[in-house]
Amino acid sequence: MRRRSDETLPIRIDRRRVYVLPTRFGLAYMLLVGTMGLGALNYNNNPAFLLALLLGTAGLASLVFAHLQLSGLRMESLAADPVHAGDPLDLRIALVADDPRPRQGLRVVADGVVAVADVPAGRAGIARIAVPTTHRGWFDAGRVELATTRPLGLALAWSWLFPARGWLVYPRPERDGPPLPDAPAAGARTRPSVAGDDIHQIRPYRAGDPMRAIAWKASARSTHLLSREYEQPVDADVRLDWARVRMLEHEAAISRLTHWVELAERLGRRYALQLPGQSVLGPARGPEHLHACLDALARMPEAPR
Amino acid sequence: MSARIDDGTRRWLLAAWALCLVPLLLQLAPVTALATATVGALTVAMSWRHTLPSVLKLTLIALAVGAVVANYPGIGRDTGCALLAALLAIKPAETATVRDARSLVGFALFAPFSTFLLDAGPASLALGFIAALVSLLVLLRLSDAEAGLDAVHWSPRQALLAIGRLALTGLPLALAAFWLFPRLPGPLWGLPDRTLSKPGLSERMTPGQWLDALNDDTVAMRIRFTGIVPARSEMYWRGAVLWDFDGATWLPAPGLVARRAADLALQPPRWRYIADVEPTDDRLLALLEFPASAPTNTQRSADGTLHTTAPMTALTRWQMDAAPMQSFAADLPLDERQRALALPRGFNPRTVALGQQWRREAGGNDRAIILRALNMVHAGFAYSLTVPPPGRNWIDDFVFEGKVGYCQQFSTAFVVEMRAAGIPARIVTGYAGGYHNPVGDYWVVRNSDAHAWAEAWLPGQGWTRVDPTAAVAPDRIYDTLADRAPGAAGALGRFAALRPVWEVSDNLRRGWNDFVLGFNADTQARMFSALGIQRVTPETLLALFAFAMAIALGWMLWLLARGERVRDPLLRAWHALDRRYARKGLGREPDEPAEAWAQRAGEARPTSRSALLALARRFSGARYAPGTGSAERASLARDLRRHRP
Repeated sequence: MRRRSDETLPIRIDRRRVYVLPTRFGLAYMLLVGTMGLGALNYNNNPAFLLALLLGTAGLASLVFAHLQLSGLRMESLAADPVHAGDPLDLRIALVADDPRPRQGLRVVADGVVAVADVPAGRAGIARIAVPTTHRGWFDAGRVELATTRPLGLALAWSWLFPARGWLVYPRPERDGPPLPDAPAAGARTRPSVAGDDIHQIRPYRAGDPMRAIAWKASARSTHLLSREYEQPVDADVRLDWARVRMLEHEAAISRLTHWVELAERLGRRYALQLPGQSVLGPARGPEHLHACLDALARMPEAPR
Repeated sequence: MSARIDDGTRRWLLAAWALCLVPLLLQLAPVTALATATVGALTVAMSWRHTLPSVLKLTLIALAVGAVVANYPGIGRDTGCALLAALLAIKPAETATVRDARSLVGFALFAPFSTFLLDAGPASLALGFIAALVSLLVLLRLSDAEAGLDAVHWSPRQALLAIGRLALTGLPLALAAFWLFPRLPGPLWGLPDRTLSKPGLSERMTPGQWLDALNDDTVAMRIRFTGIVPARSEMYWRGAVLWDFDGATWLPAPGLVARRAADLALQPPRWRYIADVEPTDDRLLALLEFPASAPTNTQRSADGTLHTTAPMTALTRWQMDAAPMQSFAADLPLDERQRALALPRGFNPRTVALGQQWRREAGGNDRAIILRALNMVHAGFAYSLTVPPPGRNWIDDFVFEGKVGYCQQFSTAFVVEMRAAGIPARIVTGYAGGYHNPVGDYWVVRNSDAHAWAEAWLPGQGWTRVDPTAAVAPDRIYDTLADRAPGAAGALGRFAALRPVWEVSDNLRRGWNDFVLGFNADTQARMFSALGIQRVTPETLLALFAFAMAIALGWMLWLLARGERVRDPLLRAWHALDRRYARKGLGREPDEPAEAWAQRAGEARPTSRSALLALARRFSGARYAPGTGSAERASLARDLRRHRP
C-alpha cells in the first residue's frame, strides 16, 4: 500500500481505511459452503440449502463484524521511554473507541512485533509492544498495524497507521569500560560549606544554618548570632572530550563516552561533554543534563568514510 | 506455525464434532453407527494427551471403514454418508493447533449436510442446525484463542449472543436467497440411491412379511381436499398392482409398463386434493383411486400403477383430481385375462376346489360368486395381526382351519378363490383410510395404513375393487377406531390425551413441509400467483434475487456505517458543523479548543461570527460544565444542526 503521509495523533480509523480479505481458512470455508449449496440445489434439498445459506451468510456477516472491530477506533497516543540501543523499546499505544462497542483481541503490530490489546467499552486500551532496537539515533514509529481475525477467523481485517512519532535511541554504553578520565589531583578545588572538617571562617547567622553550625562562644561575645563555615574539598568537574577517545573506532568512541556520561552521573560528579563541532555541554549533573548529553551522543553523525 | 489450543477450547471443539456426528449416526444402520461412535470415542480418548501412533490410527480407520463395508451392500448415498461419518470419527486424532481445529470443524459441517440428504425429519433438522450453530461458536472461540484472548474468562453466553448476532445479520440475505435464488428444475447429476431401503410400500407381497409397515406409525402423506371429501370407505390410495403368484409371493407384471393405459371411465363426484408425499426413495406413487389423469413426471402402466420418473428422495407435492370409477378396462386383452386367471399348480387344492364348486353352483353369475366369498368371510373370519407362519398350503389352512388373518391373507385367499372360479382377479396394494387432523383440517395417511385388496374383472364394468378385509374389520381399515388414532399408543402406554399434542405437532410439520421442504422450481415459479403473476420466469427471479441481495447487502453496509457512529447526538451535531466549515477550508484543528476555533472561523466569515461564537460557548458549557439538562442539550444539538457557515 502507498504510504500515507505521517499522521498527527489522534488518528481515527474510519471505514475507508479498514481492509478486509479472507484468510486461507476463509477461502476453504467458502469452498465448503459453495459445495454444500451446489449439492443442495442439485438435489433440491431445502434443509441442506438452508444450512449452506445460514453458514454462508453468517460468514459474510462476520466480515462486517470484523470490519466493525476496527472502524471507529482512535489511536490516542503513542509513548515510549528512551532506551539504549540493544534494549527493547517499551512502546505503549493507547486506543479508544468513540462508540460503545467493546473490542477484544486486537492484534497490534509495530516493527514486526505483535501485541494484543483489549479496548473495553468507553475506556482506553493500551497495547504494550517491546520493539527491539539495534542502532542509536532516530527511531521512527513507522507503520503500526491493527488487525483482527475475529469473530470467526474467516477474514483478516486490518488497518495501517503511520503516526508521526519517533524517539531517540541512545547509544549503547561500553560494557566494563574504563573509569572516569580524571584530571590530576593538583587541580582540586575547595568551596565553603556548612559541614566539613576544617573551619574556613565565621560569618553572621543566616536563616537555615543548622543548629550545630552556630558558633555559640563567638556569638556570646558578639551582639548577634554567628555561624561557623567549613572548608569542603570538592571533586573537580569531569571533562569528557571527544579528543580523548578519537583513537577508538567511531561507534566504540561514542559507546565509551556514553559509558563515562552514565558513570559520572551515577557517581554524582559534574561533567561536561565536548563533541566535535558542538559547543560544550555542562559542566552540570542531573537527569536533564544526562539526557542532553545522551541526546547529543545519539545524534552524532555516522562514521565518516 | 499455528497457535496451539488449550484444553477448554479442545473440549468445545470435540463437543461440536460430536454434535455434528450424532444426527448422521442416527440415520445409519445401527451396527455401523455403533462401530463409528466407538471408533470416535477411542480416537478422542487415545489422542487426548499424546499423538496417536500411525499404526493405531490405521487400525481405527480400518475398523470404521470395515463397519461400513460390512453393513452396506453397495455404493450408494447412504454408503457415502456412512463413509463420511467413519472418516469424521477418526479426524479428532489431530487437534493440537488452531489450524487442525479449524479443519476439523470444516469437515464436521458436512455431517449435518449429509444427514439432510438422508432424512429431512424434524429431529434431524433440529439436531443438524444446533450442530451448525455450535460449530460456529467453536470457530469464534478458535479465533479468540488465535488472538491470544484469555480463555479462562471466556463466556459461552457472550459467544452465543455474538453468534446469534451474526446469524441474524445474515438472515435477511439467507431468506432472500432461499426464496428467490432460481432453483434447478431438474438435477445436474442424479442423487445416488440408497443401498438399504426404508420400510414402506413395496412392489411385491409375501404374505406374513408386512408387519413392520403395519406397525410403523410414521406419516406417508398428508392430504388436503379442496372440495368434496370422499367417504372413508372410498379412500383407497392405489399403489402397486400384483398379478403373478407362485404360492408364496405376489409380483407385478413388468410387461404392462410399456403398454397403453387401459380405458378408464370416471363418474361424478370429483375429489380435488393436494397430496404431500413424504420421501420414500422409491418411484412407486400411491394416489387416490382413480386419478383423472397421470400427473406430470409420472408414468402410468396399463394396470393403473403410477411411477415417478425419478425416485422420491425429497418431499413431493401432487395436485390431483380423482373420481370413482365407472368402468376400467372393459375390454380385457387375452394375455392379461390369462395372466389374471393363472394359479400355481399343486398349491392349496381345497381352496381351488371351493372356487370351482362356487362356479358350478352359480353358473354364469360372477357377482353371486363374489358375494358368496364375501359372506363367507364376514360370517366366520376374524382380523388379527398374529398369524401362524405360512406353510406350503397356507391358504387352505387359513380358509378352512385358522380363519384368522389380516389384509394379505384375506386378499390372497379371495383372489385365489376367484381365479379358481374363473373370474380374472388381481391384488392391489396401497393405503386405505386416513386420519383427519382437525387442527389444520387435513388428512394423514400413515405407513400403518398400508393395505392390500383385490380387483375382480366383471363384464361391462371391468376391474372392480373388492376388499374382503373390509367385510371383516372395516373399522380397522378405515382408521375409525379410537386406538388407531396416531400418538395414542406411545412409549408410555395408551394415552388419549396425547392425541391433541400429536395433532398440533403434525400440523406444524405440515406447515414446515408447505413452507420449506416442498419448495422447488415449480412452486418457486408459482410463488407470486396470489399477486396475479401466474409463472415467474428464471430471468425475473434472478432480477428479483439481485434486488433482494442489494437490499440485504445495503442493510449490512448500514450496520457498518452505524457501527462507527458517535453515540452522543450533541457531539454528532458538533462534528457535522465542523465538517460544514471544513468544506470552506475552516475545519477545526484536532488540538484546537472549540472557542478558539470559533474565533478563527468567525474572523474568516464575519456574517456568521457571532452565531458561531455563541454556539461554541454553549457547546463547551454543555460538554464540560456539570448539570446541563437534557432538554438544553437537545435544543443545542438542534441549533448546531441548523447553523450554516
